[in-house]
Amino acid sequence: MSRFLLNRLLGMVVVLFGVCLFTFVIFFVLSPDPAVQICGKNCTPEAIDQIRENLGLDQPFWTQFWTFISGLFVGRTYGTGPNAIDCAAPCLGYSFQTSQPVTDMIMQRLPVSATIAIGAALLWLLSGVAGGLISAVREGRFADRFIAGLTLTGMSIPNYVLALSLQFVLVVTLGWLPFPQAVSFGNDPLQWFLNFLMPWIVLAIGAAAVYTRLTRANVIESLQENYVRTARAKGLSPGLVWRRHALRPALTPIVTIFGMDFANLLGGALITETVFGLNGVGKLAADSITKNDQPVIMAVTLLAAFLVVVGAMVVDLLYTAIDPRVRVGSAK
Amino acid sequence: MNKRSTRAPAAIMAAALLLTGCSGGGADDSGGGGGGDPVEGGTVHMLQNADFSYLDPARGFDGGVNAFYRLIYRGLTTQAAGDAEDPNAIVPDLAESLGTASEDGLTWTYTLKDGLKFDNGDPITSAEVEFGISRAWDPEIGIGSPWLKKTIAAPEDYLGPYRSGDHPGIDAPDEHTIVFHLIEPFPEFDNVLAQPNAVPFPVGSGAGDEFINDIIASGPYTLESYTPGSLIELVRNEHWDPETDDVRRAYPDAWEFEIGLEGATIDERLMAGQGSDVNAISGVIQAATLARVQTPELQERLKTSPAYCTTYMSMNMTKAPFDQLEVRQAINWAIDRKSVQTASGGTQLADPATTIIPEAVTGHQDFDLYPSEDYGGDTDKALELLAQVGLEDGFSFVLDIRSQPKMQAQAEAIQQALKEINVEVELNVIDTSTYYETIGTPSQQHDAAITGWCPDWASSASTMVPPLVDGRNITDKGNTNLAQIDDETINARIDEISAMTDLEAANAEWGELDEEVMALAPIAPLVWEKGIFLPGENIAGYHPSTSMTDLTIIGLEDPSLG
Amino acid sequence: MTFTSTDLEVEGAAGGETVGEPAPASPPAQGRHLVHAFLRDRVAVACGVYILLVVLMALAAPLLVKISGYGPLEFDQSAVDPNLGGLPIGWGGGMGAEHWFGVEPGNGRDIFARIVYGARVSMTIALAATVLTSVLGVVFGLIAGYFGGRVDMVVSRVMEFLMAFPALIFMIAVLSALPADNRQFLLVVVISFFGWPYLARIVRGQTMSLKEREFVESARASGASSLQIIFKEILPNLASTIIVMTTLAVPGYVGTEAGLSFLGVGVVPPTPSWGQMIASSVPWYAVDPAYFLIPGAFLFMLVLSFTVLGDRVKKIAESGEGRA
Repeated sequence: MSRFLLNRLLGMVVVLFGVCLFTFVIFFVLSPDPAVQICGKNCTPEAIDQIRENLGLDQPFWTQFWTFISGLFVGRTYGTGPNAIDCAAPCLGYSFQTSQPVTDMIMQRLPVSATIAIGAALLWLLSGVAGGLISAVREGRFADRFIAGLTLTGMSIPNYVLALSLQFVLVVTLGWLPFPQAVSFGNDPLQWFLNFLMPWIVLAIGAAAVYTRLTRANVIESLQENYVRTARAKGLSPGLVWRRHALRPALTPIVTIFGMDFANLLGGALITETVFGLNGVGKLAADSITKNDQPVIMAVTLLAAFLVVVGAMVVDLLYTAIDPRVRVGSAK
Repeated sequence: MNKRSTRAPAAIMAAALLLTGCSGGGADDSGGGGGGDPVEGGTVHMLQNADFSYLDPARGFDGGVNAFYRLIYRGLTTQAAGDAEDPNAIVPDLAESLGTASEDGLTWTYTLKDGLKFDNGDPITSAEVEFGISRAWDPEIGIGSPWLKKTIAAPEDYLGPYRSGDHPGIDAPDEHTIVFHLIEPFPEFDNVLAQPNAVPFPVGSGAGDEFINDIIASGPYTLESYTPGSLIELVRNEHWDPETDDVRRAYPDAWEFEIGLEGATIDERLMAGQGSDVNAISGVIQAATLARVQTPELQERLKTSPAYCTTYMSMNMTKAPFDQLEVRQAINWAIDRKSVQTASGGTQLADPATTIIPEAVTGHQDFDLYPSEDYGGDTDKALELLAQVGLEDGFSFVLDIRSQPKMQAQAEAIQQALKEINVEVELNVIDTSTYYETIGTPSQQHDAAITGWCPDWASSASTMVPPLVDGRNITDKGNTNLAQIDDETINARIDEISAMTDLEAANAEWGELDEEVMALAPIAPLVWEKGIFLPGENIAGYHPSTSMTDLTIIGLEDPSLG
Repeated sequence: MTFTSTDLEVEGAAGGETVGEPAPASPPAQGRHLVHAFLRDRVAVACGVYILLVVLMALAAPLLVKISGYGPLEFDQSAVDPNLGGLPIGWGGGMGAEHWFGVEPGNGRDIFARIVYGARVSMTIALAATVLTSVLGVVFGLIAGYFGGRVDMVVSRVMEFLMAFPALIFMIAVLSALPADNRQFLLVVVISFFGWPYLARIVRGQTMSLKEREFVESARASGASSLQIIFKEILPNLASTIIVMTTLAVPGYVGTEAGLSFLGVGVVPPTPSWGQMIASSVPWYAVDPAYFLIPGAFLFMLVLSFTVLGDRVKKIAESGEGRA
């Protein structure tokens, strides 16, 4: 077990390092010169050189990369002299366009993204599993076919089309919901719920469809497994058979993708947040891309990758705990 | 200048959204959402898309943030109140009166009022004014308005107070007196000190990133909280003494700037006016909203402001065939300004532009050297001119545009119109964040570009015409003379008018120069983008402007609402 | 980030990959059965017909536009009201005999023409991306699965790396930073670059189990080279899997292209694209819903048709398996 853990951790570090390096290379090549951005409009070539030197932008690639990586762990200082800027660990960089440490920018927006992600995840998990179970129980009948139609629709509607349609109908036309704003739960739980409802639905619908199909397939499959038949033959009560022998293995794959999907979402729902104007990490990414604010784009990319990788690992660990068929040693 | 800051995307959006105030000539007099009078108290909400560029006035410089600075900072002079008879005028602020120039025009002296304080209670004396102004010379901090550096004498190696100490070109002989030594006579120096970066700060403060998330206020409000990209809250600065301030009225107790909202959402909220949105204001409404504000109730709330900026297409005279006068004139004849107007939001949001100086800017003279019926373009005239230089079969050129829907629509309208004279326009869409940098670099700019220009102060055209046509201003980077016109007669005229101390006479001359320039057609003015604003129902004393809305005279009719 | 085809991941997970049991090898389903079964399914046929229609529309765009009378770039100032910010005149966003689907606010461009030309962009990019992804996915999956060992490790790490990548953010960032010259080509490359591992993972798993089977063993014994075995013995056995996976991937790519255009990093205007049309309709949807609904509906139906089709193809392939 500990060896497995160690291996996974090592693999995770390698992947993250790769993501760092890759992102850094790409942005190193593509991004506009931050010195020019800092220098502003009345800039002279000398002033640019001065700034480049101050910020270490004249250093070779590997030195800059190393400074960035070490900044993650021990922090770093931008510039020298009276205008030096401290960036404490974990320093994800400094946005020269907004003059903010990137870590702060992300931390300020993470709660909004987390709220959206958690709500959406709960919604799709519950509706997905419920829908899947109903379909499985009613296999081939009307309910099953109806849900199948819904899931295909849910999987196919682009989330911005859905978001805009919902907003048009529920907010503009009917006035049932407010234009989403990041209301805090503490201030007004009802408003909080109403404001976040649309983003939750928009984000959940695609995943809910996928989860429904998956649950359905898995449950149907495991009900046909030999051990379930045996259990039935032994006269175990149907409820117990369901719970112990069908549901549990059937839901295992759900955990796998749930971990990944959720981790993915925590890093910001770019389109949904943008369409609804919610200031989460995803909108931060979208705005930064528009402004070409390279340190922020890079940091959000890293954060998202980090979450996915960690999510994948957590899933692996959970897996061994819940599926009796899988034991770590035998996993390839 | 607003339109070409390197931080342009955010800056412009903010400028466009925030827009401003005043109705340059009093387009409306009632001044309020509901027509009532503002009273003290309450919180005014500002809904906007983009965050302000910087809280530090030495760094930020665009219409939106300048309006914001006015709430928290004061300078020696400032622009008159938004409801003043001439809102473009410059009036004293911290100073007792406007400056006194020496005989040779090289020394300007100001006297401070009594009882001036920062938000921490410390007094504002000439030392603080000198210190605050000298921050403009810091290479990393002083990236805002260039005018202080352009006019006040300082040695080449002076790098601001943090590196080089006291400013050698500014003297503070006593607590109340401050003296500026200029590089050369500058009759409009009062305007320079009304720039946002000419404000006092406690000596020694504001190094590095100190003023990035917190500030030291000298105006009627101070910062309560700042969440970059989301929210700014202002509360009263208890140490601001209204007795010392003839311009700001500061009715509301607090301000809230809600940032990061989509333009469409802002309009929807203002129309719906739920909850605290009755106390909200915002920038110009979107073209799509126009059709929905035709109801009598909403019509009553609408405010308009004329344009302070000119949207134009520059023609790069260093590239063929724009090096030929006839070609540039032909383009000016052929452009269908009517369709550009529709692309810019229609008759309510834009007027066809025929001069460089917009109507609201002092010095404007009305003329149209390339007239056509209903501004639809005159293709016959254009073809005739092209035939004179053997280009009747047309040519093609590359037009740089910003990846922003309105500008794309304007470019497509030009593309369509020029097809009529066999000219093929190839659009080169440049990312918003690098657009101004690219077109401001002559080695990178293509044959033509669409951009806008606003004056740094509206009380004269001295910052409207020269930056676009002064041949000695063509620089390798940050170039504003996009046409790269370098005409000796025009250069000489610029020097002549700039030196005039009679500012009124000078303004008349700027108007003349506008026409002389347009005869050479280095650029094609396209439209003047006006503003229509929809304040909340409870807003009063609102005089929005597309240049800089005076936020300091706005208040609520009934502070208990919302 | 929210719309890279999660579906594929799911198929991967459901296929038993992560559980550690190699998926059963599927011999090719009989082609004729497939077609027959397909034709009996009315929904599938309807979807197929719609897709065919869009393809025809794309191919015949210049002709259709000649019939309708307006090109995709042509302005019609008479169709919009300059006093109302350029709002189309008349019902349904200016729908009528003149403009079948109405016009764009502001400039009066014909929406029908733009939809028709937009279909070209959607189809070209989605299909090109599908082809490129399939080639990459199959080749790398086969190589990794067949050779195993170090080769497998490298390919698997690269796949893991790409799948961990927040593809959407990255695609937007890269596209917005790159010059706009050849956007369509770039879109295909970028989409495929992040898309192939999902197919490769499955191909790899099946290859691993296939290579242990007797017919491969015997081919090897009779002296066939690795290349021959891979392409002559293993690849044909993967055909149905590849067909199914590919069909399932198309809607994802259609959606991705539209999404990127919606976010402003897709094809460069004035070239029409559905995603871009939806984006520019946002401020107008309250006053001119047709402007939003038309491209929205075309896009939704296309993605839906591909999804349903993929779904049916998969089912048929599976049941074909059962019979064989």
